[in-house]
Amino acid sequence: MTLETWDGDDESAAGRFVPLYVLVNGRTAPRDSSLDLATQVVALPVDTRRLEPEYLEILRRCDGWISVAEIGAYLRMPLAITKVMVDVLIEQGYLEVGNPAQQKIIDRHVLDAVLAGLERL
Amino acid sequence: MDRTSVKIVVAGGFGTGKTTLVASVSEIPPLTTEELLTEASVGVDDTTGVEGKTTTTVALDFGRITISPDVVLYLFGTPGQDRFWFMWDELAQGAVGAIVLVDTRRLDSSFPAVDYFERRGIPFVTAVNRFFGECDYTEDEIRGALELDPKVPLVWCDARDRGSSKLALITLVRHAMARLPARA
Repeated sequence: MTLETWDGDDESAAGRFVPLYVLVNGRTAPRDSSLDLATQVVALPVDTRRLEPEYLEILRRCDGWISVAEIGAYLRMPLAITKVMVDVLIEQGYLEVGNPAQQKIIDRHVLDAVLAGLERL
Repeated sequence: MDRTSVKIVVAGGFGTGKTTLVASVSEIPPLTTEELLTEASVGVDDTTGVEGKTTTTVALDFGRITISPDVVLYLFGTPGQDRFWFMWDELAQGAVGAIVLVDTRRLDSSFPAVDYFERRGIPFVTAVNRFFGECDYTEDEIRGALELDPKVPLVWCDARDRGSSKLALITLVRHAMARLPARA
């Protein structure tokens, strides 16, 4: 990724040198389609020196478990881009991923926990 | 238990108090996440060829409730505009269910949400938001206007009130659990 790809478009207002769609190589969907906007991820203790600043920024938000939607909201990035970038980080071993919402939904134990948690509110 | 996310959708017509409800129970002030779409892609969920086309921003408000060290509940409000149905699909996929907020001044504005969850067999409860003042309708009148299945719970609520929003959420989770297959 070099600064030559910066074309002076309106993303510069947000302090970005590289348009986000370049960073994700034009990918428009995550490879892992089970990645949901509520899926949580957490940074793994690995060497991050080779990462581009935009990816590092995501990792810095992931020092504790955090959802894709929260990352997008805090970094003001569109959801589709956030998903693809998080997916790249998972693929490359920088992030560990929790259960996507849709895989656990028929699990009565989870619903029992949710009910108990809501009653404690 | 592995780290698990649970989703609940908060739906209803424009201005029915969705973000207000999320704010009343969320442990963080509601966050907003955005999706950029081209006009050409609206409704078909395709963001290819974004360059050079008119883009539209769809905003989603959401909150979170930490249930246990392993389980976090996310509450997602649906986008205000009905034409972004494909965003509803993403929110509803894998969700426990939905709370459909009803504004008694405009009952019909919540009908598309009721219809959406009914058609897809997604558990939902209707929550009649009373913060707009006294309600002129009986429960039967509201059920009739929204063509509610008798099994769909209806609760009266004040979306600004934490206890009231909490009750709507508990009613939904109980309703969703009652629809699960019996314990093995």
